[in-house]
Amino acid sequence: MLDLLALLLIFSGISFFFLGAIGLLRLPDLHARLHALTKADNLGLGLLIVGVALLHGSLLMAMKLLLIWLLALLASAASAHLISQYALRRNRS
Amino acid sequence: MSDSDKSSRRVAKPVSDVLSNRQLIVVNPLYTLSILALLSLLWLLLTGEDWSSWLVGLPVVILATWSILLLRAPTEGRFNLMGFFRFLPYFIWESVLGGIDVASRVVGPKMRIAPGFLSYQMRLSHPSARRLFVNSLSLLPGTLAADLDGDTLQIHALDRAIDPDAELKRLEQMVSAVYGEDL
Repeated sequence: MLDLLALLLIFSGISFFFLGAIGLLRLPDLHARLHALTKADNLGLGLLIVGVALLHGSLLMAMKLLLIWLLALLASAASAHLISQYALRRNRS
Repeated sequence: MSDSDKSSRRVAKPVSDVLSNRQLIVVNPLYTLSILALLSLLWLLLTGEDWSSWLVGLPVVILATWSILLLRAPTEGRFNLMGFFRFLPYFIWESVLGGIDVASRVVGPKMRIAPGFLSYQMRLSHPSARRLFVNSLSLLPGTLAADLDGDTLQIHALDRAIDPDAELKRLEQMVSAVYGEDL
């Protein structure tokens, strides 16, 4: 039962990564694409991590995965901000 | 967060200069202990249950705590644990909504988007609080922090028909509670 839930979470995580990639390809400009990259991938990784933690079943591993998720969140938010800032300032000058 | 933001607030000084003018801030033993505990947990997570690793880990944790206390800017806000625990579920829920929102907009034959920029006057002043606000704002539904110039935040919205102002004010309120700042 728990394994089934874990697989469901992992699968939905992968779907969000997939949808994020679709967004990256379909959206019209740089800033709109960043939306897809930051938000869909963040949720996808979150679901994936909860699923893997359930499968593994140890608290230590769960916390390690949580740490990975937090670092990935920080990296994606910061790099999205830097990319959009650079694009805006270059267009202005 | 952004370079210009940092440089306008704090001019970089040589490390030796910073160290010689700083005193250890050990006014709050609870703060020191919580940093020690947090770093020990981090070491435990990285090394697993290999207890001999603490031969290296313990000195490293103590040195890291010391350097955090030494380098901490006195103007940083006080971290409020209660505020943080209120912020966390809100943040997780909103980022779930954000992911679903953007995913549902890009599927289907015609994408439901009307992208555009808007600006927001930020009221937060502590650097850590501003960092948290700008970063979590990008994970909320429909908004992306595009540029920061002083207190004016340029925000890119995926759908301009939705006014994010109330949502942003709410997030700002939450963040201000995490750092014990009055808006």
